[in-house]
Amino acid sequence: MRFQDAAPDARHVVYAGIQADPLVGRVAALLADASHGQRLMARAVMNGERTDPAVWRAIFPALFDPVEPVLSERSEALLEACRAVAERGEQARSQYRGAIVESLTALLLARRSSAVRRERRILFDGVRAEIHPYDVTVETPASAEAYDCKWGARGINADVLDQLDDARRHAAEEGEPLAVALVVFDARRSCLVRLARQTVRREGIGLVTIETLDRLARRRATPGNSPEPGSSAR
Amino acid sequence: MTESTVAEVMARAVTALERLATLGEEVEDEWQYVTDLVAVYRGRFGQIAAARAADPVTPETARAIDLAIEEAGLITDPHRAIDWLSTLPQIVLFTLGEAA
Repeated sequence: MRFQDAAPDARHVVYAGIQADPLVGRVAALLADASHGQRLMARAVMNGERTDPAVWRAIFPALFDPVEPVLSERSEALLEACRAVAERGEQARSQYRGAIVESLTALLLARRSSAVRRERRILFDGVRAEIHPYDVTVETPASAEAYDCKWGARGINADVLDQLDDARRHAAEEGEPLAVALVVFDARRSCLVRLARQTVRREGIGLVTIETLDRLARRRATPGNSPEPGSSAR
Repeated sequence: MTESTVAEVMARAVTALERLATLGEEVEDEWQYVTDLVAVYRGRFGQIAAARAADPVTPETARAIDLAIEEAGLITDPHRAIDWLSTLPQIVLFTLGEAA
């Protein structure tokens, strides 16, 4: 098993520009230290209609409690950054949202590993390479990980699950453990609803949701094929 | 000001969910997902309404949920409606201090 940079195509070039936008990094950095409530607010604002900050403060009053100035300050910074995403217009912001989830995933993983990479393909002997690269990889020898990142549960589909499962199985055939997981910036309950109708194999595929993102930053309990971090998509 | 009860707030949230579902069903490929999602969250809301029906909610909490419902009501795109079918329940549950 070996990792390789994805060959740049037209989509990759456009998307790389979005990934490199400082706004993506700013939102991801704020989300990395955010609470569950703040992450919920970010999700709503980035997919909302209104960008008036007073509306969002009223929807999430607990995040702007004046008796908790640190929480309130962080919430204000996150709200401002998410409004900037929302104001980019519908087409652009859907690309920004995807890039933000990937960047957030990479940031959290980087808290426990220096081997985090983006947009990488995984190659196996005698197996045709997948066209789509993995969003985020942790390329630690003998304990590698591959993550596919999604803004919403609706992004979970058979192709995504198949690609993760194939990688895990091919790695195991080569005697190289590879942990694979979906990172979905959406509620676990919604992800389980989506997964319930999927008929493809998903044993061994981890599921990290908006409630459990911080687990990405924690050292995995068991190296290898364990679906940790997060819980199984099974 | 008259306080709302949990049951009243939940009833308004269910109505908003059903509107989003009607919109989301326009995406034919996602009909099943929309149907499943609204059923699950309607059920979750029903559990809370049953357990806390007559409990009062503060004006601030009621306003927060009503504004979230209002925001969801502004959605006209079926694809975004599907996303809000997950987002709106999370806001309501968080605001009421309920587990997702």
